[in-house]
Amino acid sequence: MNFTRNDANGDTVLRIEGVLDAVTTPDIRPTIEALVVEKRMRIIVDVSALRLIDSSGVGVIVSLFKRAKAYGGELKIQGLRDQPLTIFRLLRLDRVFSIS
Amino acid sequence: MIRVKIPGLLDYRDLAMRMVTSACKLVHARRVNPASGESRPDHEFDAEVVSAFGEAFNNVALHSYRRQGGDVEIEIETSPTAMVIRILDYGDSFDIDDVPVPALESLPESGLGIYIMRACMDEIAYKAGQPNVLTMTRRLVRDENAGMQGHNVADPTPDE
Repeated sequence: MNFTRNDANGDTVLRIEGVLDAVTTPDIRPTIEALVVEKRMRIIVDVSALRLIDSSGVGVIVSLFKRAKAYGGELKIQGLRDQPLTIFRLLRLDRVFSIS
Repeated sequence: MIRVKIPGLLDYRDLAMRMVTSACKLVHARRVNPASGESRPDHEFDAEVVSAFGEAFNNVALHSYRRQGGDVEIEIETSPTAMVIRILDYGDSFDIDDVPVPALESLPESGLGIYIMRACMDEIAYKAGQPNVLTMTRRLVRDENAGMQGHNVADPTPDE
């Protein structure tokens, strides 16, 4: 799993590539924590290059969503497809997140 | 039948997932509309089976073996009607019927693994012992409405 964070004009784009699962979620947690501590108001999680996600990975994204919402921020999911889209639909998260 | 034995550690998860992914490509699953009888290729088959297996492997590595490792035997058997995946481990057991159905409307951050397994497969059976044996079955011809619409799992947020 690789990820990049880019901040521009108040938006933060967090691009996640590869596999976000029980193995890789510990790697991204510090970045998630930083976004929350900095109270980034508009967060876009770009998963267009995410190949696979499991419940651990979903938990990380849901946690970020809930914490951002708590301080008035918003989170959008961009590029959801294939197996990650299957899991988001299964967990009805496609009804919760703003997905493009 | 495909049968392998690997360490039950998260480091081996990707290897196991690739094996299941490859096995999925050897079958041709279809979805059938029960009203019209029409069928189409089951485009969700690979994603759902791999997702269920991934959660099952996590359970073995994280809960049965508590990250300490141990043997995991994986068997994949296909017939004209179904794919059956068996996962055997020699770690701690649990009662699968005691695992609560998550309240999806509250956006849980954990406790989703068994739910995903049940939703993605047609049958889940767990026999505690030495070894513990998890058997997951996915039919190769599946009702159009199964799984994704909460057909085979409890539905905490029914559609209005």
